[in-house]
Amino acid sequence: MKRAEPNRLVSLMVDNLIWLFVIGAFIAFSLLSDRFLSPYNLGNILLRSAAFGMLVLSQAYTFITGNFDLSVESTLGLAAMFAALMLVTTEAGGLGWQLHPLLVILLMLVLGGFIGLFNGVLITKVGVNNLLVTIAMLFVLRGATYGISPGTSISFFPKEFTWLGGGTLARIVTDNGNFVLSVAGIFVILAFLVGHIHTRYTQFGRNMYAVGADADAARAAGINVDRVVIIVYIIAGVCAAFAGLLQAGRLNAATPTMGANLIFAVHGAAIIGGMSIYGGRGNIIGAFGGVLLWSILDTGLNIMGVSPFWIDVSRGLLLLFAVLLDALRVRYQHNVQVRLALADTTVGLDDKDQDYG
Amino acid sequence: MQMPNRHDLLEFLSRHFIWVVLVFTVVVFGLTINGYLGIANIANILITGSVLGVMVIGQSLCLMARKLDLSAEGTVSLVAVVAAWLMLPYRETDLAQAGGLGVELDPLIVIPLILALGAVIGFANGFMIMKLNMNFFIVTLAMQLVLRGLALAISEGAIMPGTPAAFNWLGGGRVAGIPVSVLATVGLYLVFGFVMSRMQFGRKVYAVGANEDAARASGFSPARTVILVYTASGFLAALAGWMLLGRLETSVPNLGIGLTLNVVAAAVIGGVSLKGGEGSIIGAFAGVLFLAMVNNALNLMNVDPLWVNAVRGLIILVALIIDAQKSRYRGPGGSSTPTRTVAGDNGRSGSRDARHPERLQTPAAE
Amino acid sequence: MAETRTSQHSDEILLDMRGISKSYPGVQALEDADFSVRRGEIHGLVGKNGAGKSTLMGVLMGIREADSGTIAIEGETLRHASPQTMLDAGISYVPQHINLLNTLTVAENILVGNLPKNRFGLVDWKAVNEDSQARLSRLGLKLDVRQLVEGLSVAERTMLAIAKALFNNARLIILDEPTAALTRVDIDLLFSFVRAQQQQGVAFIYISHHLEEVFEICDRVTVMRDGRIVGTRAIDEIDVPGLVHMMVGGGVKEYERDSTAGREVVFEASNLSRRGAYEDVNFALRQGEVVGISGLQGSGVDELAQGLFGLERLGVGEVYVGGDAYRPDSPKAAFEAGVAYLPQDRHRYGLIQLRSVRENVTYSVLDRLVGRLGVLLRKDEHELTEEYIDKLGIVTPGPEQRTLLLSGGNQQKVVFAKLAATQPTVLILHEPTQGVDVQAKVDIFNIINDLSTQGVATMIISSEVRELIGLCDRIFVMCGGRITREFSRAADDMKPEDILLAIEGGPLDADA
Repeated sequence: MKRAEPNRLVSLMVDNLIWLFVIGAFIAFSLLSDRFLSPYNLGNILLRSAAFGMLVLSQAYTFITGNFDLSVESTLGLAAMFAALMLVTTEAGGLGWQLHPLLVILLMLVLGGFIGLFNGVLITKVGVNNLLVTIAMLFVLRGATYGISPGTSISFFPKEFTWLGGGTLARIVTDNGNFVLSVAGIFVILAFLVGHIHTRYTQFGRNMYAVGADADAARAAGINVDRVVIIVYIIAGVCAAFAGLLQAGRLNAATPTMGANLIFAVHGAAIIGGMSIYGGRGNIIGAFGGVLLWSILDTGLNIMGVSPFWIDVSRGLLLLFAVLLDALRVRYQHNVQVRLALADTTVGLDDKDQDYG
Repeated sequence: MQMPNRHDLLEFLSRHFIWVVLVFTVVVFGLTINGYLGIANIANILITGSVLGVMVIGQSLCLMARKLDLSAEGTVSLVAVVAAWLMLPYRETDLAQAGGLGVELDPLIVIPLILALGAVIGFANGFMIMKLNMNFFIVTLAMQLVLRGLALAISEGAIMPGTPAAFNWLGGGRVAGIPVSVLATVGLYLVFGFVMSRMQFGRKVYAVGANEDAARASGFSPARTVILVYTASGFLAALAGWMLLGRLETSVPNLGIGLTLNVVAAAVIGGVSLKGGEGSIIGAFAGVLFLAMVNNALNLMNVDPLWVNAVRGLIILVALIIDAQKSRYRGPGGSSTPTRTVAGDNGRSGSRDARHPERLQTPAAE
Repeated sequence: MAETRTSQHSDEILLDMRGISKSYPGVQALEDADFSVRRGEIHGLVGKNGAGKSTLMGVLMGIREADSGTIAIEGETLRHASPQTMLDAGISYVPQHINLLNTLTVAENILVGNLPKNRFGLVDWKAVNEDSQARLSRLGLKLDVRQLVEGLSVAERTMLAIAKALFNNARLIILDEPTAALTRVDIDLLFSFVRAQQQQGVAFIYISHHLEEVFEICDRVTVMRDGRIVGTRAIDEIDVPGLVHMMVGGGVKEYERDSTAGREVVFEASNLSRRGAYEDVNFALRQGEVVGISGLQGSGVDELAQGLFGLERLGVGEVYVGGDAYRPDSPKAAFEAGVAYLPQDRHRYGLIQLRSVRENVTYSVLDRLVGRLGVLLRKDEHELTEEYIDKLGIVTPGPEQRTLLLSGGNQQKVVFAKLAATQPTVLILHEPTQGVDVQAKVDIFNIINDLSTQGVATMIISSEVRELIGLCDRIFVMCGGRITREFSRAADDMKPEDILLAIEGGPLDADA
């Protein structure tokens, strides 16, 4: 029997749209500016968006199950501030506990996990709308961040702590400048790799996709939907807390506004990376493409001397373009299906009007 | 026939939940905080609530039509920057201060211009959503990024102080001692309350939000209605931008940032459902009052301003949990199944069509 | 027509339901029903809507609890029937609209929740694909397991759902109208798959309105009517007319109205064709006339009804309303031309459930209720609402009641009120009595009668042939996209058996 066989090349391109964008942007900036391809710059691309990348990862997780978590930007801020308070002396604005950095990192990840747990339980067990719960949490956590902050930024972290966000693993010296392999960059790549393996190659990861594709069908297949969603929110919270640690480490400072208003750009990156807010679609690697695209645009426009304020504009326009392509794809598939359905029938051949738009 | 009974009483209370809360709040704050019910303080509550209030109207319209407008705060930023840019004299941008374009247009020209700009932005949203079948959540999200970026690019991230007095009248002026912004906001609520409850347009918005297919079969054009809703939302956001800039007399980059979340929260606390087709403008007004009163009370109680956000978030959270219990009580016949509703069904069209091939034939164009 | 076939089923009883009764407030949905299925047979279950098929299957699946009766599987009586015990007993249900994980691959759908892992505990995708492909080929099902389910045709999805049930050790699979959305090619594909499974000893219960298909695929057939089992026959012992006779029974007509047809033709169509839906459709309705159209799903009747109201494309051909050319491109245009339509899916198209009775009644006439500047005239609106609540006997605490709190019959009356308020010339009713109780049915018949007395030409699209006979002056039968027969009260040939036969594609009438 005849099968819907939309043009393979077209569908391959549509499925990997993000990589076309990434490569296109990369080539465009290489041509437009000779400084873009410098080793220093390439090393920097990931470092600058490490924290952003972790937030995208958190949203990629929630998106797969058909949820989202707006509060992650505040979790980032709270984790950074809390960590700073516990790390530094009272003179530098901290609490003077001067805890061991490793302990602080662990505590913060646990804190992120608890925030996620709270979100997840409210959404699944209490039945509050996920958008509103996470908006409210966004306020609460941001407020708490302001509340516990000494009002100024906190800096002078121990070296062990800043290594995570700002450290260097290796430095390759070239004629053109140094290529810096940053710890944060490696961590982000590792996190996305682990995320990819987790969502692609574990039972739990596949259960996430099943929940996002159709919660009822997943339930019928014996999957504990609530449990999956709660765990996903916990993972998102941990990722966000980790993002906070990276950010604080890179800047060697924590301010109460850290991460504020990032969330929509984060969603944009995940969506252009092929994730769907309706769940069950996209993959972590694509989301990583979204992060790359965002930071290439960021660095590229920056190098070309374009005002940084145009970056948001370009992101928004790209996102609009991607949604438009998606809408066109849906329409195209629809038309193919109609045409196939009609190809089998002889009824009503008088009607030559084949405008299905 | 149903008898009035306990069920009806509960239904009544849950429908008008926000008013019960509002009265309770007034009584508690009035008794515990000195001068809370004084004229000056009430004026203060209303002034600070007015910008939020104007934006809540637009957002409520969108929510009632089962949509969402995340771009409204971007519109606020952009129109404020554009207005200042067009009105202020030219000057070199130094560290944090910028001048205008140099055309120094009269506020009377600028005001209609920015209102039209807002309406056009809203129209563009609506057009993309209804005519190009793009997902409303992502469209308005992307629009927000574009608008905010444009605002920053035009202002170069700097403040533009000193907007003309005529322009500031809406945000900062007074008529017979009453702030113009408050009068304007109350006026807008009256107008839109009337439109939504007593005019054909309002009826259509509710119908489209509750059931788009049935609305079409009742002889409405959902596309036209939703595009109008977004146009109104953009227009009102521009008005809010005008009001806010007028109050501050200085264009600040990132003006209005983070407002959207407050706006949605106020509307939902006021009983406007994310699932569309329900809620009233007057209820949304109560939601705005509630948020404004809480903010004010937290101020007066000398709560560290840094904690205000946290407390406000907690209050919203509690309200939402109570609301979730309410819809649970109403049961499946009621208005709600929780979660995953904001996004609507818009983006599911791909799989939906595949699932019901018998519906493959598109309905004739609206 | 009834072909004899040898099939592999034995006489061993797999499922035995005895004396099942179930009543709801005011309705005896099942009365002392005995139903049995043998191992490896395909057992047809037929009957009109509301005959009790779905209640019986609900009991079998453990979704509904029977008031009395026993269920035995392979001679073992089940003590407690819950959905889980029924699944464990090997009973599976494949609904008309299948729930699968659309965004995932076929392979993952088959193995969901229990994917094969390699020695590191990670999902082994090669094994997933090979394993699922092997399972499918064991069933003789040719599908690319790497494909996304959303790219499958309906027939393929149905087969996949059956396959999934089999992988879960199903022994008896209930197929609910599996062919409703299929083309002939796909039906053949599905049937050969089902027969292949039957050879392996799997039993099927096949629920369908398409009697031809029942004869094509089933070994035995059980007929239900009014909550009772009328009888079970081996397929080669009976023919379509015999089956129709069992389905219809010899009961009296439920309702009868006198003709109110005038002379003037107000609604006319000539050579109406739409690709893939219907062709060469001609009709002419006179003032006050009530005409029924009946046809199975896929006969084009649904598309015709929606096309005539502008909900779908109408195709080519001419339609006239009151002598004027009529070409609706939207429901709004249809209302303006004087055509009103009662949709089949009341919840999707008819009613805005969150809103009040008043708002629902006046939606389609808002244009007439606005004063200056688009302000609604409250008084007129209330009067209109009260008038129709009164006229149609809508039982509601008041005009402000949300319609979702009304009973099915009253909801339908609200939709009627909305249509009647537009004072239409032509009324198209699509399954007007679906899901309403007996009393509301009579009320609705009276409403139809009142409207046609006032001169409204009414077209009723319905599968309830008996009701049509009581109401209509003429009845058209649609089959394969064409109007194949016309029955009329004047010719005194409106016999339920004949009409049902024609619906099934029975002998063509020469002068149709």
